[in-house]
Amino acid sequence: MIQLWSVAAITFKEGLRNRAMYGISILALLMMVANLLISSMIMQEVGKVAVDMALSSASFAGLLLVLFVGINLLAKDLDRKTIYMVLSRPISRSQYIVGKFLGIALLIIVSMALLSLFAAASIYLVKLNTPGYFPRFSWSLVGLSLAFNTLALILLAALSFLFASFTSTSFISLMLTIVAYLIGNSINDVKALVEAPQGAGIAPSPVIVKVVQIAYYMFPNLSFFDIKTQVAHGIAPSGSYVFWTVSYGLVYTSLAVAIACAVFSKREFP
Amino acid sequence: MIIRRALPIILVLLLIPVHILTLSTVSNKRKTLHQGEDVAYVIPGPLLKITSLEYDGLASDFLFLKALVYYGGTLNRSERPRVKDWEWRWIYSTLQASTDLDPYFYDPYYFANAILTWDGNMVRETNSLLAKGSRYRDWDWMLPFFMGFNSFYFLHENGRASEYLMEGAKRPGGEALASLALRLAVKGNRTENAIIFLQEILKRTKDIATRKEYETRLEALQGIHVLEGAVNTFKDKYGKQPSELKELLAVGIISQIPEDPYGGEFYIDKDGSVKTTSDLRSMKKTKNN
Repeated sequence: MIQLWSVAAITFKEGLRNRAMYGISILALLMMVANLLISSMIMQEVGKVAVDMALSSASFAGLLLVLFVGINLLAKDLDRKTIYMVLSRPISRSQYIVGKFLGIALLIIVSMALLSLFAAASIYLVKLNTPGYFPRFSWSLVGLSLAFNTLALILLAALSFLFASFTSTSFISLMLTIVAYLIGNSINDVKALVEAPQGAGIAPSPVIVKVVQIAYYMFPNLSFFDIKTQVAHGIAPSGSYVFWTVSYGLVYTSLAVAIACAVFSKREFP
Repeated sequence: MIIRRALPIILVLLLIPVHILTLSTVSNKRKTLHQGEDVAYVIPGPLLKITSLEYDGLASDFLFLKALVYYGGTLNRSERPRVKDWEWRWIYSTLQASTDLDPYFYDPYYFANAILTWDGNMVRETNSLLAKGSRYRDWDWMLPFFMGFNSFYFLHENGRASEYLMEGAKRPGGEALASLALRLAVKGNRTENAIIFLQEILKRTKDIATRKEYETRLEALQGIHVLEGAVNTFKDKYGKQPSELKELLAVGIISQIPEDPYGGEFYIDKDGSVKTTSDLRSMKKTKNN
Protein backbone atom coordinates (compact mmCIF):
# COMPACT_ATOMS: atom_id res chain seq x y z
CA MET A 1 0.00 0.00 0.00
CA ILE A 2 2.77 2.43 0.91
CA GLN A 3 4.45 1.91 -2.47
CA LEU A 4 1.14 2.59 -4.16
CA TRP A 5 0.70 5.94 -2.41
CA SER A 6 4.26 7.00 -2.99
CA VAL A 7 3.84 6.40 -6.74
CA ALA A 8 0.59 8.36 -6.62
CA ALA A 9 2.17 11.25 -4.72
CA ILE A 10 5.17 11.45 -7.07
CA THR A 11 2.89 11.36 -10.12
CA PHE A 12 0.72 14.12 -8.71
CA LYS A 13 3.71 16.36 -7.93
CA GLU A 14 5.22 15.69 -11.34
CA GLY A 15 1.95 16.69 -12.97
CA LEU A 16 1.74 19.92 -11.01
CA ARG A 17 5.27 20.78 -12.05
CA ASN A 18 4.41 20.34 -15.72
CA ARG A 19 4.56 23.66 -17.58
CA ALA A 20 1.52 22.67 -19.65
CA MET A 21 -0.58 23.37 -16.55
CA TYR A 22 0.14 27.10 -16.88
CA GLY A 23 -0.85 27.12 -20.52
CA ILE A 24 -4.10 25.35 -19.75
CA SER A 25 -4.89 27.80 -16.94
CA ILE A 26 -4.26 30.78 -19.22
CA LEU A 27 -6.48 29.25 -21.89
CA ALA A 28 -9.24 28.72 -19.33
CA LEU A 29 -8.89 32.29 -18.13
CA LEU A 30 -9.15 33.65 -21.69
CA MET A 31 -12.25 31.62 -22.38
CA MET A 32 -13.84 32.95 -19.23
CA VAL A 33 -13.17 36.50 -20.41
CA ALA A 34 -14.74 35.55 -23.75
CA ASN A 35 -17.76 34.50 -21.70
CA LEU A 36 -18.30 38.11 -20.61
CA LEU A 37 -18.09 39.30 -24.22
CA ILE A 38 -20.41 36.72 -25.74
CA SER A 39 -23.00 36.89 -22.98
CA SER A 40 -23.36 40.60 -23.62
CA MET A 41 -24.51 39.84 -27.20
CA ILE A 42 -27.50 37.79 -26.06
CA MET A 43 -30.92 39.42 -25.81
CA GLN A 44 -32.90 37.18 -23.50
CA GLU A 45 -31.32 34.11 -21.93
CA VAL A 46 -28.01 35.60 -20.83
CA GLY A 47 -27.75 33.20 -17.90
CA LYS A 48 -28.03 30.16 -20.13
CA VAL A 49 -25.26 31.30 -22.43
CA ALA A 50 -23.01 32.30 -19.52
CA VAL A 51 -23.38 28.87 -17.94
CA ASP A 52 -22.83 27.17 -21.32
CA MET A 53 -19.64 29.09 -21.91
CA ALA A 54 -18.26 28.62 -18.41
CA LEU A 55 -18.94 24.89 -18.25
CA SER A 56 -17.70 24.25 -21.78
CA SER A 57 -14.48 26.16 -21.13
CA ALA A 58 -13.79 24.22 -17.94
CA SER A 59 -14.55 20.96 -19.70
CA PHE A 60 -12.32 21.77 -22.68
CA ALA A 61 -9.41 22.84 -20.49
CA GLY A 62 -9.84 19.65 -18.45
CA LEU A 63 -9.74 17.61 -21.66
CA LEU A 64 -6.46 19.25 -22.69
CA LEU A 65 -5.09 18.44 -19.24
CA VAL A 66 -5.88 14.74 -19.62
CA LEU A 67 -4.56 14.61 -23.18
CA PHE A 68 -1.32 16.52 -22.75
CA VAL A 69 -0.39 16.22 -19.09
CA GLY A 70 -2.06 12.99 -18.01
CA ILE A 71 -0.89 10.83 -20.89
CA ASN A 72 2.67 12.09 -20.61
CA LEU A 73 2.92 11.11 -16.98
CA LEU A 74 2.66 7.42 -17.79
CA ALA A 75 3.92 7.37 -21.34
CA LYS A 76 7.04 9.35 -20.49
CA ASP A 77 8.21 6.53 -18.22
CA LEU A 78 7.87 4.17 -21.16
CA ASP A 79 9.26 6.59 -23.75
CA ARG A 80 12.34 7.49 -21.78
CA LYS A 81 12.86 3.96 -20.44
CA THR A 82 12.76 5.23 -16.84
CA ILE A 83 10.25 2.43 -16.38
CA TYR A 84 13.22 0.03 -15.88
CA MET A 85 14.26 1.96 -12.79
CA VAL A 86 10.77 1.76 -11.34
CA LEU A 87 10.28 -1.92 -12.10
CA SER A 88 13.54 -2.88 -10.42
CA ARG A 89 12.07 -1.57 -7.16
CA PRO A 90 10.06 -3.81 -4.86
CA ILE A 91 6.76 -2.88 -6.45
CA SER A 92 4.49 -4.96 -8.63
CA ARG A 93 3.50 -3.77 -12.09
CA SER A 94 -0.14 -3.57 -11.07
CA GLN A 95 0.75 -1.46 -8.05
CA TYR A 96 2.68 0.82 -10.34
CA ILE A 97 -0.25 1.25 -12.75
CA VAL A 98 -2.82 1.77 -9.99
CA GLY A 99 -0.52 4.18 -8.16
CA LYS A 100 0.07 6.20 -11.33
CA PHE A 101 -3.63 6.23 -12.02
CA LEU A 102 -4.48 7.48 -8.53
CA GLY A 103 -1.92 10.26 -8.90
CA ILE A 104 -3.43 11.38 -12.18
CA ALA A 105 -6.98 11.13 -10.82
CA LEU A 106 -5.94 13.36 -7.94
CA LEU A 107 -4.33 15.79 -10.39
CA ILE A 108 -7.55 15.91 -12.42
CA ILE A 109 -9.65 16.51 -9.31
CA VAL A 110 -7.43 19.35 -8.10
CA SER A 111 -7.23 20.97 -11.56
CA MET A 112 -10.96 20.70 -12.09
CA ALA A 113 -11.49 22.35 -8.71
CA LEU A 114 -9.33 25.23 -9.93
CA LEU A 115 -11.15 25.41 -13.29
CA SER A 116 -14.47 25.33 -11.44
CA LEU A 117 -13.36 28.41 -9.54
CA PHE A 118 -12.66 30.17 -12.85
CA ALA A 119 -16.03 29.06 -14.19
CA ALA A 120 -17.90 30.20 -11.09
CA ALA A 121 -16.12 33.55 -11.16
CA SER A 122 -17.10 34.19 -14.78
CA ILE A 123 -20.73 33.22 -14.16
CA TYR A 124 -20.74 35.43 -11.08
CA LEU A 125 -19.42 38.41 -13.05
CA VAL A 126 -22.04 38.01 -15.80
CA LYS A 127 -24.69 37.65 -13.12
CA LEU A 128 -23.50 40.85 -11.50
CA ASN A 129 -23.81 42.68 -14.84
CA THR A 130 -27.23 41.37 -15.81
CA PRO A 131 -28.95 40.16 -12.63
CA GLY A 132 -32.43 39.98 -14.17
CA TYR A 133 -31.56 37.31 -16.73
CA PHE A 134 -30.89 34.32 -14.45
CA PRO A 135 -34.42 33.14 -13.69
CA ARG A 136 -33.76 29.41 -13.39
CA PHE A 137 -30.18 29.39 -12.26
CA SER A 138 -28.76 27.13 -9.53
CA TRP A 139 -25.19 26.91 -8.25
CA SER A 140 -25.61 23.35 -7.03
CA LEU A 141 -26.51 22.18 -10.55
CA VAL A 142 -23.42 23.91 -11.95
CA GLY A 143 -21.40 22.06 -9.30
CA LEU A 144 -23.02 18.76 -10.24
CA SER A 145 -22.19 19.28 -13.90
CA LEU A 146 -18.54 20.03 -13.06
CA ALA A 147 -18.38 16.93 -10.84
CA PHE A 148 -19.77 14.79 -13.68
CA ASN A 149 -17.20 16.34 -15.95
CA THR A 150 -14.39 15.43 -13.56
CA LEU A 151 -15.64 11.86 -13.47
CA ALA A 152 -15.69 11.70 -17.27
CA LEU A 153 -12.11 13.00 -17.43
CA ILE A 154 -10.95 10.40 -14.90
CA LEU A 155 -12.62 7.75 -17.05
CA LEU A 156 -10.83 9.06 -20.10
CA ALA A 157 -7.51 9.01 -18.21
CA ALA A 158 -8.16 5.36 -17.26
CA LEU A 159 -8.76 4.61 -20.93
CA SER A 160 -5.50 6.33 -21.86
CA PHE A 161 -3.77 3.99 -19.37
CA LEU A 162 -5.28 1.04 -21.14
CA PHE A 163 -3.93 2.31 -24.46
CA ALA A 164 -0.51 3.10 -22.98
CA SER A 165 -0.29 -0.41 -21.56
CA PHE A 166 0.13 -1.94 -25.01
CA THR A 167 1.40 0.84 -27.28
CA SER A 168 5.06 1.65 -27.65
CA THR A 169 4.99 5.45 -27.91
CA SER A 170 3.04 8.15 -26.14
CA PHE A 171 1.93 9.61 -29.46
CA ILE A 172 -0.09 6.50 -30.33
CA SER A 173 -1.79 6.50 -26.93
CA LEU A 174 -2.60 10.17 -27.43
CA MET A 175 -4.19 9.48 -30.79
CA LEU A 176 -6.17 6.51 -29.48
CA THR A 177 -7.38 8.55 -26.51
CA ILE A 178 -8.53 11.37 -28.78
CA VAL A 179 -10.37 8.87 -30.97
CA ALA A 180 -11.98 7.33 -27.88
CA TYR A 181 -13.03 10.81 -26.72
CA LEU A 182 -14.58 11.65 -30.10
CA ILE A 183 -16.39 8.34 -30.31
CA GLY A 184 -17.40 8.47 -26.65
CA ASN A 185 -19.06 11.83 -27.04
CA SER A 186 -20.86 11.13 -30.28
CA ILE A 187 -21.75 7.43 -29.99
CA ASN A 188 -25.05 8.14 -28.28
CA ASP A 189 -26.23 10.45 -31.05
CA VAL A 190 -24.77 8.28 -33.81
CA LYS A 191 -26.57 5.24 -32.46
CA ALA A 192 -29.82 7.19 -32.25
CA LEU A 193 -29.25 8.42 -35.80
CA VAL A 194 -28.49 5.08 -37.47
CA GLU A 195 -31.32 3.37 -35.65
CA ALA A 196 -33.82 6.04 -36.71
CA PRO A 197 -32.20 7.58 -39.81
CA GLN A 198 -35.39 9.15 -41.24
CA GLY A 199 -34.82 12.28 -39.13
CA ALA A 200 -31.74 13.33 -41.08
CA GLY A 201 -32.78 11.76 -44.37
CA ILE A 202 -29.97 9.21 -44.61
CA ALA A 203 -29.99 5.44 -45.20
CA PRO A 204 -27.05 3.67 -43.47
CA SER A 205 -26.23 0.10 -44.50
CA PRO A 206 -26.96 -2.73 -42.04
CA VAL A 207 -23.19 -3.27 -41.58
CA ILE A 208 -22.74 0.28 -40.34
CA VAL A 209 -25.65 -0.12 -37.94
CA LYS A 210 -24.02 -3.25 -36.52
CA VAL A 211 -20.60 -1.59 -36.21
CA VAL A 212 -22.14 1.34 -34.36
CA GLN A 213 -23.98 -1.00 -32.02
CA ILE A 214 -20.77 -2.88 -31.22
CA ALA A 215 -18.88 0.38 -30.67
CA TYR A 216 -21.68 1.47 -28.34
CA TYR A 217 -20.78 -1.31 -25.92
CA MET A 218 -17.01 -1.00 -26.30
CA PHE A 219 -16.43 2.71 -25.99
CA PRO A 220 -17.41 4.76 -22.94
CA ASN A 221 -20.61 6.73 -23.39
CA LEU A 222 -19.28 10.11 -22.35
CA SER A 223 -22.52 11.91 -23.19
CA PHE A 224 -24.03 10.47 -20.01
CA PHE A 225 -21.78 12.83 -18.08
CA ASP A 226 -22.72 15.82 -20.20
CA ILE A 227 -25.59 17.63 -18.47
CA LYS A 228 -24.40 21.10 -19.44
CA THR A 229 -27.47 21.94 -21.53
CA GLN A 230 -29.89 20.88 -18.82
CA VAL A 231 -27.93 22.68 -16.12
CA ALA A 232 -27.85 25.87 -18.21
CA HIS A 233 -31.66 25.80 -18.13
CA GLY A 234 -31.89 24.87 -14.48
CA ILE A 235 -33.35 21.43 -15.19
CA ALA A 236 -32.22 19.03 -12.45
CA PRO A 237 -31.53 15.37 -13.34
CA SER A 238 -33.22 12.80 -11.13
CA GLY A 239 -31.38 11.29 -8.16
CA SER A 240 -31.38 7.86 -9.79
CA TYR A 241 -29.81 9.32 -12.95
CA VAL A 242 -26.99 10.80 -10.86
CA PHE A 243 -26.52 7.51 -9.00
CA TRP A 244 -26.43 5.34 -12.12
CA THR A 245 -24.19 7.69 -14.05
CA VAL A 246 -21.68 7.79 -11.19
CA SER A 247 -21.86 3.99 -10.95
CA TYR A 248 -21.35 3.63 -14.69
CA GLY A 249 -18.33 5.93 -14.55
CA LEU A 250 -16.74 4.08 -11.64
CA VAL A 251 -17.36 0.65 -13.15
CA TYR A 252 -15.98 1.60 -16.56
CA THR A 253 -12.94 3.29 -14.98
CA SER A 254 -12.19 0.26 -12.81
CA LEU A 255 -12.62 -2.03 -15.79
CA ALA A 256 -10.19 0.00 -17.90
CA VAL A 257 -7.58 0.14 -15.12
CA ALA A 258 -7.96 -3.60 -14.44
CA ILE A 259 -7.43 -4.48 -18.11
CA ALA A 260 -4.48 -2.08 -18.22
CA CYS A 261 -2.93 -3.88 -15.21
CA ALA A 262 -3.48 -7.28 -16.82
CA VAL A 263 -1.95 -6.23 -20.14
CA PHE A 264 0.90 -4.37 -18.52
CA SER A 265 1.82 -7.32 -16.28
CA LYS A 266 2.19 -9.54 -19.33
CA ARG A 267 4.09 -7.00 -21.34
CA GLU A 268 7.71 -7.70 -22.21
CA PHE A 269 10.16 -4.83 -22.23
CA PRO A 270 13.01 -5.10 -24.70
CA MET B 1 27.84 44.80 -35.39
CA ILE B 2 25.23 47.42 -34.60
CA ILE B 3 23.62 46.87 -37.97
CA ARG B 4 23.44 43.19 -37.35
CA ARG B 5 21.66 43.75 -34.04
CA ALA B 6 19.32 46.38 -35.41
CA LEU B 7 18.37 44.28 -38.44
CA PRO B 8 15.66 42.17 -36.75
CA ILE B 9 14.09 45.30 -35.24
CA ILE B 10 14.09 47.07 -38.59
CA LEU B 11 12.59 44.00 -40.17
CA VAL B 12 9.81 43.89 -37.56
CA LEU B 13 9.09 47.58 -37.99
CA LEU B 14 8.87 47.11 -41.76
CA LEU B 15 6.73 44.02 -41.54
CA ILE B 16 4.09 45.49 -39.21
CA PRO B 17 2.66 47.93 -41.79
CA VAL B 18 2.88 45.23 -44.47
CA HIS B 19 0.96 42.92 -42.16
CA ILE B 20 -1.77 45.52 -41.66
CA LEU B 21 -1.92 46.11 -45.42
CA THR B 22 -2.27 42.42 -46.28
CA LEU B 23 -4.85 41.92 -43.53
CA SER B 24 -7.09 44.72 -44.76
CA THR B 25 -6.69 43.69 -48.41
CA VAL B 26 -7.56 40.07 -47.72
CA SER B 27 -10.56 41.02 -45.58
CA ASN B 28 -11.81 43.21 -48.43
CA LYS B 29 -11.21 40.49 -51.02
CA ARG B 30 -12.95 38.03 -48.74
CA LYS B 31 -16.16 40.03 -49.10
CA THR B 32 -16.13 39.35 -52.85
CA LEU B 33 -16.15 35.59 -52.24
CA HIS B 34 -19.31 34.03 -53.51
CA GLN B 35 -21.91 33.97 -50.74
CA GLY B 36 -25.11 33.33 -52.59
CA GLU B 37 -27.95 30.95 -52.14
CA ASP B 38 -26.07 27.85 -53.29
CA VAL B 39 -23.42 28.05 -50.54
CA ALA B 40 -25.88 28.87 -47.77
CA TYR B 41 -26.47 25.28 -46.72
CA VAL B 42 -27.26 24.60 -43.09
CA ILE B 43 -26.24 21.16 -41.79
CA PRO B 44 -29.27 19.39 -40.31
CA GLY B 45 -29.61 19.37 -36.52
CA PRO B 46 -29.14 15.62 -35.90
CA LEU B 47 -25.77 15.69 -37.71
CA LEU B 48 -24.67 18.86 -35.94
CA LYS B 49 -25.47 17.20 -32.64
CA ILE B 50 -22.86 14.55 -33.45
CA THR B 51 -20.17 16.91 -34.66
CA SER B 52 -20.55 19.32 -31.77
CA LEU B 53 -19.53 16.54 -29.32
CA GLU B 54 -20.20 17.65 -25.75
CA TYR B 55 -20.53 21.29 -26.76
CA ASP B 56 -24.14 21.20 -28.01
CA GLY B 57 -25.14 24.19 -25.94
CA LEU B 58 -22.22 26.25 -27.13
CA ALA B 59 -22.82 25.31 -30.77
CA SER B 60 -26.44 26.31 -30.35
CA ASP B 61 -25.42 29.72 -28.97
CA PHE B 62 -23.07 30.32 -31.87
CA LEU B 63 -25.60 29.30 -34.53
CA PHE B 64 -28.08 31.71 -32.98
CA LEU B 65 -25.51 34.51 -32.94
CA LYS B 66 -24.65 33.72 -36.57
CA ALA B 67 -28.27 34.20 -37.61
CA LEU B 68 -28.56 37.34 -35.49
CA VAL B 69 -25.41 38.90 -36.90
CA TYR B 70 -26.42 37.98 -40.46
CA TYR B 71 -29.80 39.60 -40.05
CA GLY B 72 -28.18 42.65 -38.44
CA GLY B 73 -25.96 42.96 -41.53
CA THR B 74 -29.01 43.22 -43.80
CA LEU B 75 -30.43 46.23 -41.94
CA ASN B 76 -28.21 48.68 -43.80
CA ARG B 77 -29.07 47.44 -47.28
CA SER B 78 -30.76 49.84 -49.64
CA GLU B 79 -32.10 47.30 -52.17
CA ARG B 80 -35.71 46.06 -52.08
CA PRO B 81 -36.67 43.58 -50.87
CA ARG B 82 -34.06 44.12 -48.20
CA VAL B 83 -33.78 40.44 -47.29
CA LYS B 84 -34.15 37.90 -50.08
CA ASP B 85 -36.34 34.84 -49.82
CA TRP B 86 -33.43 32.39 -49.62
CA GLU B 87 -31.95 34.50 -46.83
CA TRP B 88 -35.11 34.21 -44.79
CA ARG B 89 -35.02 30.46 -45.38
CA TRP B 90 -31.37 30.36 -44.36
CA ILE B 91 -32.10 32.28 -41.13
CA TYR B 92 -34.99 29.93 -40.45
CA SER B 93 -32.87 26.79 -41.03
CA THR B 94 -30.09 28.16 -38.86
CA LEU B 95 -32.48 28.90 -36.00
CA GLN B 96 -34.02 25.47 -36.55
CA ALA B 97 -30.57 23.86 -36.20
CA SER B 98 -29.77 26.01 -33.17
CA THR B 99 -32.91 24.80 -31.44
CA ASP B 100 -32.21 21.20 -32.48
CA LEU B 101 -28.96 21.44 -30.55
CA ASP B 102 -30.55 23.04 -27.52
CA PRO B 103 -34.33 22.91 -27.70
CA TYR B 104 -34.68 24.83 -24.43
CA PHE B 105 -32.84 27.92 -25.68
CA TYR B 106 -35.35 30.79 -25.69
CA ASP B 107 -33.53 33.39 -27.81
CA PRO B 108 -33.81 31.66 -31.23
CA TYR B 109 -37.57 31.26 -30.76
CA TYR B 110 -37.91 34.85 -29.67
CA PHE B 111 -35.83 36.11 -32.57
CA ALA B 112 -37.64 33.92 -35.12
CA ASN B 113 -40.96 35.20 -33.90
CA ALA B 114 -39.81 38.81 -34.03
CA ILE B 115 -38.56 38.79 -37.63
CA LEU B 116 -39.78 35.75 -39.58
CA THR B 117 -43.48 36.48 -39.15
CA TRP B 118 -43.81 40.20 -39.81
CA ASP B 119 -41.03 40.63 -42.32
CA GLY B 120 -40.18 37.14 -43.53
CA ASN B 121 -43.68 35.90 -44.37
CA MET B 122 -42.88 32.52 -42.79
CA VAL B 123 -45.71 32.34 -40.28
CA ARG B 124 -46.48 28.63 -40.51
CA GLU B 125 -42.80 27.72 -40.33
CA THR B 126 -42.32 30.02 -37.33
CA ASN B 127 -45.27 28.44 -35.57
CA SER B 128 -43.85 24.95 -36.08
CA LEU B 129 -40.54 26.16 -34.63
CA LEU B 130 -42.37 27.73 -31.69
CA ALA B 131 -44.30 24.50 -31.18
CA LYS B 132 -41.00 22.70 -30.61
CA GLY B 133 -39.98 25.33 -28.07
CA SER B 134 -43.33 25.19 -26.35
CA ARG B 135 -43.03 21.42 -26.03
CA TYR B 136 -39.66 21.62 -24.29
CA ARG B 137 -40.12 24.84 -22.33
CA ASP B 138 -43.28 23.63 -20.66
CA TRP B 139 -42.96 26.28 -17.94
CA ASP B 140 -42.95 29.20 -20.37
CA TRP B 141 -46.22 30.91 -21.41
CA MET B 142 -44.58 33.28 -23.91
CA LEU B 143 -44.17 30.71 -26.71
CA PRO B 144 -47.83 29.57 -26.77
CA PHE B 145 -48.71 33.24 -26.57
CA PHE B 146 -46.64 34.02 -29.69
CA MET B 147 -48.19 31.05 -31.49
CA GLY B 148 -51.62 32.30 -30.51
CA PHE B 149 -50.90 35.74 -31.84
CA ASN B 150 -49.52 34.41 -35.13
CA SER B 151 -52.50 32.12 -35.66
CA PHE B 152 -54.91 34.93 -34.93
CA TYR B 153 -53.26 37.81 -36.70
CA PHE B 154 -51.60 36.27 -39.74
CA LEU B 155 -53.42 33.02 -40.32
CA HIS B 156 -56.88 34.19 -39.21
CA GLU B 157 -57.41 30.98 -37.29
CA ASN B 158 -59.17 32.26 -34.19
CA GLY B 159 -60.12 28.85 -32.89
CA ARG B 160 -56.58 27.58 -32.92
CA ALA B 161 -55.29 30.87 -31.48
CA SER B 162 -57.63 30.46 -28.50
CA GLU B 163 -56.30 26.93 -27.98
CA TYR B 164 -52.71 28.17 -27.85
CA LEU B 165 -53.62 30.97 -25.50
CA MET B 166 -55.49 28.61 -23.19
CA GLU B 167 -52.38 26.41 -23.17
CA GLY B 168 -50.30 29.47 -22.21
CA ALA B 169 -52.82 30.43 -19.53
CA LYS B 170 -52.16 27.12 -17.77
CA ARG B 171 -48.49 27.97 -17.29
CA PRO B 172 -47.15 30.02 -14.39
CA GLY B 173 -47.44 33.76 -15.03
CA GLY B 174 -49.66 33.37 -18.09
CA GLU B 175 -53.02 33.49 -16.31
CA ALA B 176 -53.96 36.77 -18.02
CA LEU B 177 -54.05 34.99 -21.39
CA ALA B 178 -57.34 33.29 -20.49
CA SER B 179 -59.34 36.49 -21.00
CA LEU B 180 -57.61 37.14 -24.33
CA ALA B 181 -58.50 33.63 -25.42
CA LEU B 182 -62.13 34.32 -24.57
CA ARG B 183 -62.14 37.55 -26.55
CA LEU B 184 -60.86 35.69 -29.60
CA ALA B 185 -63.43 32.97 -29.13
CA VAL B 186 -66.28 35.51 -29.36
CA LYS B 187 -64.58 36.98 -32.46
CA GLY B 188 -63.98 40.60 -31.63
CA ASN B 189 -62.50 43.31 -33.76
CA ARG B 190 -59.28 42.07 -35.32
CA THR B 191 -57.27 45.28 -35.02
CA GLU B 192 -58.44 45.90 -31.49
CA ASN B 193 -57.39 42.39 -30.43
CA ALA B 194 -54.03 42.83 -32.10
CA ILE B 195 -53.48 46.05 -30.13
CA ILE B 196 -54.25 44.24 -26.86
CA PHE B 197 -51.84 41.47 -27.88
CA LEU B 198 -49.06 43.92 -28.65
CA GLN B 199 -49.58 45.84 -25.42
CA GLU B 200 -49.22 42.54 -23.59
CA ILE B 201 -45.97 41.76 -25.44
CA LEU B 202 -44.63 45.25 -24.75
CA LYS B 203 -45.20 44.80 -21.04
CA ARG B 204 -42.81 41.82 -21.11
CA THR B 205 -40.16 43.21 -23.44
CA LYS B 206 -37.12 44.85 -21.87
CA ASP B 207 -34.76 45.03 -24.82
CA ILE B 208 -34.81 48.60 -26.16
CA ALA B 209 -34.38 47.80 -29.87
CA THR B 210 -37.11 45.16 -29.79
CA ARG B 211 -39.39 47.46 -27.81
CA LYS B 212 -38.98 50.11 -30.46
CA GLU B 213 -40.02 47.69 -33.18
CA TYR B 214 -43.12 46.63 -31.27
CA GLU B 215 -43.95 50.24 -30.38
CA THR B 216 -43.86 51.19 -34.06
CA ARG B 217 -46.17 48.30 -34.86
CA LEU B 218 -48.53 49.32 -32.07
CA GLU B 219 -48.58 52.91 -33.31
CA ALA B 220 -49.44 51.78 -36.84
CA LEU B 221 -52.20 49.47 -35.61
CA GLN B 222 -53.63 52.22 -33.43
CA GLY B 223 -53.73 54.46 -36.50
CA ILE B 224 -55.61 51.77 -38.42
CA HIS B 225 -57.93 51.28 -35.48
CA VAL B 226 -58.85 54.99 -35.37
CA LEU B 227 -59.50 55.01 -39.12
CA GLU B 228 -61.59 51.83 -38.98
CA GLY B 229 -63.73 53.43 -36.30
CA ALA B 230 -64.12 56.50 -38.49
CA VAL B 231 -65.10 54.38 -41.51
CA ASN B 232 -67.77 52.67 -39.42
CA THR B 233 -69.12 56.02 -38.22
CA PHE B 234 -69.24 57.19 -41.84
CA LYS B 235 -71.16 54.06 -42.85
CA ASP B 236 -73.68 54.55 -40.02
CA LYS B 237 -74.17 58.20 -40.92
CA TYR B 238 -74.36 58.04 -44.70
CA GLY B 239 -75.24 54.42 -45.33
CA LYS B 240 -72.36 53.79 -47.76
CA GLN B 241 -68.65 53.04 -47.84
CA PRO B 242 -66.27 55.97 -48.04
CA SER B 243 -64.06 55.37 -51.07
CA GLU B 244 -61.09 57.26 -49.71
CA LEU B 245 -59.87 58.67 -46.42
CA LYS B 246 -60.24 62.27 -47.61
CA GLU B 247 -64.01 61.86 -47.49
CA LEU B 248 -63.74 61.27 -43.77
CA LEU B 249 -61.80 64.49 -43.41
CA ALA B 250 -64.26 66.40 -45.55
CA VAL B 251 -67.27 65.49 -43.40
CA GLY B 252 -65.32 66.16 -40.23
CA ILE B 253 -65.35 62.65 -38.71
CA ILE B 254 -61.62 62.89 -38.23
CA SER B 255 -59.49 66.01 -38.01
CA GLN B 256 -56.40 64.49 -39.62
CA ILE B 257 -55.17 61.26 -41.16
CA PRO B 258 -52.70 59.56 -38.81
CA GLU B 259 -49.19 59.00 -40.07
CA ASP B 260 -47.98 55.46 -40.79
CA PRO B 261 -44.81 55.04 -38.71
CA TYR B 262 -43.52 52.60 -41.33
CA GLY B 263 -43.46 55.41 -43.88
CA GLY B 264 -46.42 54.25 -45.95
CA GLU B 265 -49.84 55.82 -46.38
CA PHE B 266 -53.17 54.58 -45.09
CA TYR B 267 -55.94 53.94 -47.61
CA ILE B 268 -59.33 52.31 -47.81
CA ASP B 269 -59.30 49.02 -49.69
CA LYS B 270 -62.08 47.93 -52.03
CA ASP B 271 -63.62 45.74 -49.34
CA GLY B 272 -63.82 48.72 -46.99
CA SER B 273 -60.94 47.74 -44.70
CA VAL B 274 -58.20 50.21 -43.82
CA LYS B 275 -54.76 49.27 -45.13
CA THR B 276 -51.42 50.91 -45.59
CA THR B 277 -49.10 51.04 -48.57
CA SER B 278 -46.20 49.93 -46.32
CA ASP B 279 -48.09 46.72 -45.45
CA LEU B 280 -46.66 47.19 -41.92
CA ARG B 281 -43.13 46.58 -43.09
CA SER B 282 -40.45 49.17 -42.80
CA MET B 283 -40.08 51.39 -45.89
CA LYS B 284 -37.69 53.90 -44.40
CA LYS B 285 -34.10 52.86 -44.19
CA THR B 286 -33.53 54.40 -40.79
CA LYS B 287 -36.54 53.01 -39.01
CA ASN B 288 -35.17 49.62 -38.08
CA ASN B 289 -31.63 50.59 -37.23
